[in-house]
Formats: sequence, C-alpha cells, structure tokens
Amino acid sequence: MARYDYVEKAVKVSRREFLGVLGVGAAVLWTGAYVATDLVQDRTKYIKLRAKALYLDDGKAKVRQSHNNAAVADVYKNFAEKPLSPLAEDLFHTRYVDRSKLGGLS
Amino acid sequence: MHSTGEGPRVLKHPLTSRLFHWGLIAGFLPAAVTGFVLWLKPGNEELVNLAMRIHIVGAAILTVSAVLYAVFCLDRIISFIRRIFTWDDRDVGWMLVGGGYPQKMFLGKKIIVPPMGKMNSGQKMFGICLLFGGLVLMVTGWVLYAFIPVTPKAFVYWSDQTHLILGVFLGLFMFVHIFLGIYNWGEFKAMFGDGTQPLEEAEDHNPVWVAKEIEPVKQSGAGTQVSV
Repeated sequence: MARYDYVEKAVKVSRREFLGVLGVGAAVLWTGAYVATDLVQDRTKYIKLRAKALYLDDGKAKVRQSHNNAAVADVYKNFAEKPLSPLAEDLFHTRYVDRSKLGGLS
Repeated sequence: MHSTGEGPRVLKHPLTSRLFHWGLIAGFLPAAVTGFVLWLKPGNEELVNLAMRIHIVGAAILTVSAVLYAVFCLDRIISFIRRIFTWDDRDVGWMLVGGGYPQKMFLGKKIIVPPMGKMNSGQKMFGICLLFGGLVLMVTGWVLYAFIPVTPKAFVYWSDQTHLILGVFLGLFMFVHIFLGIYNWGEFKAMFGDGTQPLEEAEDHNPVWVAKEIEPVKQSGAGTQVSV
C-alpha cells in the first residue's frame, strides 16, 4: 500500500485524436502488410519463372540424368575410378554435422 | 534535492508503468548486453551461443511487455507520445545548458534551468529514440529470428544492418539512462519503490507537471492509503 496525496490527472483522448491514432496505426499496418505480401509475391513469381525455365532447359537437353553426363563419366574414367571409390568418397562426399542445436554445439 | 520523506507525496509512476519498466529490465537489458556480445564476439563460441539464447529470450520478454502495455495502458502511451512531441522555448533553454547536469557534475554548482514538465528535454529525446528505435528493433529482430525463409534477401540484409545500428545506439543510450537514473536518486526510488515521490522533490524537478498536470486524490485529505 502506497501513501500519496496527489495523482496525475486522467488522460483525456478526444474522439478526433482516437480516430487519428487508429487511422495512422491502421495505415502503417496496412502498408507494412501490403509491402510484405508484395515482396513475397515477387519472390514466389521469380521462383516459379526460374523453375519453368529449368523445366524448359531439361526438356531441350540431350542428357537428362547426371549419371549420363559425359563430363562426370570422364571424371570417374580418368581420375576417380568409379562411384563410391575411396578417392571419390574423400573428395566428393560430405559428412553429417548435427546442427539441430543453435550454434552447432551439442 | 532529496526529501526527508515527510509531507505530501505524489504518485509519479503507477503500478502498470512500473511493471512495464520491470519488463524492459528483464527484456531489453539482457537483450542489449548480449547484443554487444553477439556483435563483438569476445570469448569462445559457447559464450556467443549462450548470448544468442539469452538475446532471444530477452527479446521475447520485451515484445510481450510492449504488446501488453500497448493493449492495457494505451492512455499512458498516448500521454507519453504527447509529452515527447511537445517542445517549446523552455526546451531550447534547457538544451543550451544541458539541463544543468554538466555544471552540477563537473563544477559542483547548481544553476537555474528552465522549468520542465514530467519529462525534461533530454528525456524527451530519449523517448523519441526509444519509441521509434524500439519498434524498429523489435520488428527487425523478429524478421531475423523467424521470417528469414520467407523474406527477400535484400530485406533481411537491411533488417540486419538496421538492427545492429539501432541496437548499438539504443544500447549505449541505455547505459546513460541507467547512470542518470541512479544519479537522480529520488527518481530511482520512485520507479523501483511504490511509484510515489515527495511533492517538494517533484516541484523541484518537474515544476510544470506539478502546476498543471496533477490533482489531489479525491477520496480524502492528506495521507490517503491507496493500493497501487
């Protein structure tokens, strides 16, 4: 229990002020939401265009599977012996790191 | 000027404002300190990792406190906004003499400063920075924490830069605020105590507020027991 003899007068908010604050708040939120959705829509549009272009490229490509890629086959033939060879394992394969915890520390 | 504690008292900080201030202490203070750790990365990775976890928890407490205060104490926020944007010739005069603080701290003499309301000009500047800076810090922080996968890279980049610059600025401001808060011991006791201050002390620090913005408690005379 606090003892006091004076208190601040109540804050009076006129209808005009209330509507003004409400209007500004709504405008800020609306603009923010519009910009955010616009940015995401743009991003989605570019992803779709890119995917469409990749499918078009694939459709036109003579070689459509990585194991049929002449360059890859050449690497194995002249350098890494065969897929999953010790040298290929060493050079091309990565190792699992548990990053489920923040900062990669377990 | 410090009172003996006798005589009439005025409620300066109601319970809701003091609770919000505790929310800032529990949220903004750890978030600001760990923010500097995340920026400068002293020590090993484990320390930075721990700092990030504290930063996130502090940010969540800060956001919840701000939202609750906005919902349940809108009148206090409107009053705060009115105060920080009300400037006149007295503020110019106050700024020109630095509120009399340099003279008091370095020369040990008290000079006459223009009378202030509940907030002095320095507090108003801090208030404006905190209102806009705090809002932007919270929004950019949440973008960086939760919305990176769905947010364009450029927006994330600028959110990160803005978060850093505002964080450093407001973080340093916070240390000044803590120093001045403790320096004005009567104000410290009011904020961390029951929210009240001796009237004569308030008249000394906030003469315009006392003259225009307070009124006697309605129920009875002096010494009213009120639950706050």
